[in-house]
Amino acid sequence: MSQLVTGAGAVASVGEGVDEIFRALCAGTSGLHELRGFDKDRYRGCHAYEIDDRPACGSDVPGRATAWLLRAIEEAIGQAGLDEDLSEIPVLVGTGLRELRSAELAWRDRTGFDLGRLYFGPALRKRFGAVHTHTFAGACSASLYALALGSDLLASGAADTVVVAGVDTLTESMYGLLDRVNSEPPDRVRPFDRSRRGVLMGDGAAAVVLRREEPGAASAALGRLLAVSMNCDARHVTAPDAQGIAEAVHEAQWRAGVKPRDIDLVLLHGTGTQLNDTAEATALAEVYGSDVGGPLMTAIKSMTGHTSGGSGLLSLIVALRSLATGQVPPTLHLTDPLPEAAEFRFVREPVSGAGLGLAQVDAFGFGGVNAVAVVERTGR
Amino acid sequence: MTASPDAVVVSGVGLALPGAGTPDTLLRNARPAPGPSDRFDTTTRIGRRGHRYKDRATRLALCAALDALRDAALVCGEDAQLTVPGATVGVVGSSNLGNLDTACLTAATIAEDSACGLSPMSLPNASSNVIASWVAIRHGLRGPNLMLCNGPTSGLDAVHWGATLVAAGRVRRALVVGVETHNPVVEELAGAPAGDLLDGAAAVVVEGARWAREREARTSAVLGPYVRRPGLGPCVAALLPEGPPPGVWFTPERYKEPAGAAVPVPGTVPRHDLSVAFGRASGALGVLQCAAAVGWLAADGSGDALLTSGDDTADAVAGLLLRPTTAPRPGQDGPFSAFSASPASPASSAMSAISAMESP
Repeated sequence: MSQLVTGAGAVASVGEGVDEIFRALCAGTSGLHELRGFDKDRYRGCHAYEIDDRPACGSDVPGRATAWLLRAIEEAIGQAGLDEDLSEIPVLVGTGLRELRSAELAWRDRTGFDLGRLYFGPALRKRFGAVHTHTFAGACSASLYALALGSDLLASGAADTVVVAGVDTLTESMYGLLDRVNSEPPDRVRPFDRSRRGVLMGDGAAAVVLRREEPGAASAALGRLLAVSMNCDARHVTAPDAQGIAEAVHEAQWRAGVKPRDIDLVLLHGTGTQLNDTAEATALAEVYGSDVGGPLMTAIKSMTGHTSGGSGLLSLIVALRSLATGQVPPTLHLTDPLPEAAEFRFVREPVSGAGLGLAQVDAFGFGGVNAVAVVERTGR
Repeated sequence: MTASPDAVVVSGVGLALPGAGTPDTLLRNARPAPGPSDRFDTTTRIGRRGHRYKDRATRLALCAALDALRDAALVCGEDAQLTVPGATVGVVGSSNLGNLDTACLTAATIAEDSACGLSPMSLPNASSNVIASWVAIRHGLRGPNLMLCNGPTSGLDAVHWGATLVAAGRVRRALVVGVETHNPVVEELAGAPAGDLLDGAAAVVVEGARWAREREARTSAVLGPYVRRPGLGPCVAALLPEGPPPGVWFTPERYKEPAGAAVPVPGTVPRHDLSVAFGRASGALGVLQCAAAVGWLAADGSGDALLTSGDDTADAVAGLLLRPTTAPRPGQDGPFSAFSASPASPASSAMSAISAMESP
């Protein structure tokens, strides 16, 4: 049974709304900036890809992730032509860090805290009347995991429409611990480059409306979701495993009924860490074999930073726009690809006019949680 | 007559709680919450080695997970070797407060000193899915790995998503683990003293009835319908539209009986508020309720067990029915004989097949 993406919304450091973000990414615009809300002197690195919406530079306020999530969902349901009453529609939210930033601020400032702010159900109930809300805290593949679960609800007949979203903001704890473990602080995200130094976090939210395909509906849709795989390496609590990733890619293609040579575009997870990029490249080289030079490949984290739980869905929305328009955003700062990716057809300059039919979208997270989606171009 | 092959059943239960080692003791244990000195000692079950940098919630979850996997005969031997392929088992964790202390104390250390003062070993604990990750790693569970942080309903939601993974054919079985703990951060942010908060974990294995049967597993309950509604009344009404009242009701945390006609469940139905005995259980409550319902069914409870989490002040109330695997009859040696020839209602089997697919 096929499923259509009928609406999309997003908020990121490079823009507000899917159109603005896609334009910015295709123009090679980066959201990289010196830290805006944390005290720079307390870290070795001092950059991130933040949304610049704090009331005053250098200070931070709670609730930002929730606000972006609501805006991304508003945009997606508006485009899909849905009523703003979501009381009967499942809303599945994938996030790595929930509203832990708000908890950090409450603890630091001793302001007291409503535990109902840690997850997104109460805000979704208030804004959209939503009741069937689920916050999945599945690290950096959380939003593609949520997409897989939403897709399963449609496939079983339990729902005919679902809203799937992802969101994350920087927490000081995650930013600080990543800063601590980097051997040399990265000044930017350089996916798949030999001189990459690690990941920098980014703010962002993304949302889609997914519906069971009705006859004639495809022409107005953003694209078709063919399949999403989910698995777990069960190997290491932070390091990825090439074998687990390869199995997730293979399963997604198998579920979608496609072969590696059918894929025209891959939105890579590409975090710019030593471990991820090597594991991802090794896995793709294994699955694609002699076809690995076929699809265009790009990694938008070079411009958005690592938007954590929301990153998979943001990549998926970009993939759908690329399929529809033939434009593909470049991977910035990639000059010397790592040896495992030597055969990859990386997009290093903006591409336009590409004839693209099928895209693969990767998302992998701490704990070895992998999810891979395959999407197809439709009319629009 | 046994559970329909499409039904989802409970095939294992595990606990890591002070003073309650088996599901039936959850019911006997309706006493004031134990003091902090009665902490569950995780080393008695999982030892010390390899756990130094894991947070308390993760250790508790590992204890309950091991107990449930053993109960389900999915692991065997001293080293808890998995008896089924790892890719056939998913994991669904549930916890709202598990890594709250890591986030807040790490941010505080940065504010007092700098990121250079942090231990790199804390990095995994900064991610909210660390509990589900470690459970999968310890036992090689390679199916989908979910972590629910969904507020007061989170535990029942987690059981539902475990069943949904099974019903969708993603896995044959899922280990669902609910855990909460307390520490100074949780106590301050939750505004509750340690003695009023759960420090413990519960786990259940939910499994496709056909797969449980294939490996001749003992089953202890059939999952009935699950619903989420905007209040307790609508939730109970959706689960029990008509027909007989449930045999037992596991109420939301700190449920207060309303006066008069607004009572959602007849007063004759026995009620259990597990948070009175074990402390406010937040994201662990729903899984704990499942474990207790299994204990109630095993103790010859008659009828369905009604489980509800969340109250009218929350964003939603979740409800789930757990049913006996066989219709009770005199002289039967308890509900664990799932595959005996005793009659079960075909309607209940059909309902449970549907329930696994019900919308969240």
